[in-house]
Amino acid sequence: MSNATVALTIVAITVLGTIGFALNSVRRIKMDPAQYIVAGRSFGTIFLWVLLAGEIYTTFTFLGVAGLTYATGAPAFYAIAYGTCAYCIGYFLTPAIWRIAKDNDLLTGPDFFENRYGSKALGIGVAVLQFVMIVPYVALQLSGLQILLKIAGYASYNATVSVCIAFIVLAFFVFTAGLRGTAWASVVKDIFVLGAVLFAGIGITHRFFGSPAALFSELAKTHPQMLTIPWGGAPHGINWFISTIALSALGFYMGPQSWNAIYSARSGDTLRRNAMLLPIYQALLGLMLLAGFCAVLIVPGLKGTNVDQSFLLVVQRYYPPWVLGVVAAAGALAALVPASALLLAAASVAMKNIAGDVFNIGRTDAARTRITRILVLVVAFLALAVWLLAQRTVVELLLLYYNGVTQCAPGVFATFLWRRATALGVGAGIVAGLLVAIPLAAISVNPWGVNAGLIGLAANVVTLVVVSLLKRA
Amino acid sequence: MTQQRAMQPAPPAKASPLRFILPIVPVAALTIVLPLVDHIEPKMAGIPFVLCWIVAWSIAAPLFLWLVGHVEKRW
Repeated sequence: MSNATVALTIVAITVLGTIGFALNSVRRIKMDPAQYIVAGRSFGTIFLWVLLAGEIYTTFTFLGVAGLTYATGAPAFYAIAYGTCAYCIGYFLTPAIWRIAKDNDLLTGPDFFENRYGSKALGIGVAVLQFVMIVPYVALQLSGLQILLKIAGYASYNATVSVCIAFIVLAFFVFTAGLRGTAWASVVKDIFVLGAVLFAGIGITHRFFGSPAALFSELAKTHPQMLTIPWGGAPHGINWFISTIALSALGFYMGPQSWNAIYSARSGDTLRRNAMLLPIYQALLGLMLLAGFCAVLIVPGLKGTNVDQSFLLVVQRYYPPWVLGVVAAAGALAALVPASALLLAAASVAMKNIAGDVFNIGRTDAARTRITRILVLVVAFLALAVWLLAQRTVVELLLLYYNGVTQCAPGVFATFLWRRATALGVGAGIVAGLLVAIPLAAISVNPWGVNAGLIGLAANVVTLVVVSLLKRA
Repeated sequence: MTQQRAMQPAPPAKASPLRFILPIVPVAALTIVLPLVDHIEPKMAGIPFVLCWIVAWSIAAPLFLWLVGHVEKRW
């Protein structure tokens, strides 16, 4: 067998095996909307931990952290810091959201806005925003998968067809298994990703340099500027670093898939324990930083988006095909499992807040489950179409996703911190935030080195406060 | 047991201010304090100081959140 056949066979068996395992685990569950979308609000600490880790650590954490380290060095450390800050906020925020969702039978993020601000229009607006943002985010996972399959195939074939097949299989998996299926698939994914991260950080460092100390003393000679964060307003400087941590931490739970995960908890304390335990997973990302630093010295000279392949190229060139196969399988699961959560989240938002609230479709539980399932397939084909038609611009669409979903944050925090906020204020704030953040992000302007998204968020908060007060006066 | 504790009402509003001060410590350490620790030296086990700092606070954060839960009498 050729090298490519070995590696790709391992990837295919792993992905299909994971899906089979997850389907088998949920075969006795009777699906109503609450069961399908938020797993009947039944997940305990460990299962929720696995699901959250499964959703948060995508291919772009897996490849992107090593890639950013390769390209910039120390500024990539932000990837560890922001999650930890987010969990310190999440300890208070997520149980409060969960309590409201439980008491009011909420199923989606937009439901929360509709319920808290007493405005169906705001709920529908947030639903449309989340839906529009999520489709390119799914497409981005497909791009990650394609990079992985190309490298696992030793660049011998074009992976487009394989990506399409894998994604269609995934869509039917979500159709059948709902959120519980994603949680079971996350169990397998987390084991593979953990193994790959340990191999990347410890195995590669040990083989090429002997120890992290030797790696860093080598880097201190050749690339000393990579070992600290540049000062002030420089690109990827300390201003960028701190503002990006703040932006990412505040927007951390605002993605539609995070709402489903929060609602799926059994109790508020389940979420508190999770916030306490998840930073451990952040520390593991330190190993991907090591892998990225190793790649700087082992495969120098990569430019542009190719930096995301740096760590995989080390594996492809210096390790046997089965190792590449296992690492690529971990990466493929890291693309597909979060994609399954995203599909389900987009479909549930479309069912509940668009089909249900706007067109009044789906009166019975059975009808609502059926509609959500059909919408899973619709969203999947939509994402596939976006990906096939606009492959090159997908990375730019990522900026749209982060800036877009983060604009929901002030409205959520205001429900707990500032009672005078109104639906009109929250809606106007979101619009103002988008109008500031997206043009700045599109032309890559970061004023004074500060992340443009945070400036958008500031515009959002000011607008929210002013409009809420004016309406009252 | 987990179930029973979950059923208990939220702690009273006058709960110790520690529950808000404690989680601010790791957040501050990972944001506004960073310009002060952005050095290579002193290396620890050969690893640049700023990286050690960030990883150490990610490992310490669970301890701080555990203490918050303890102050709130949740566990």
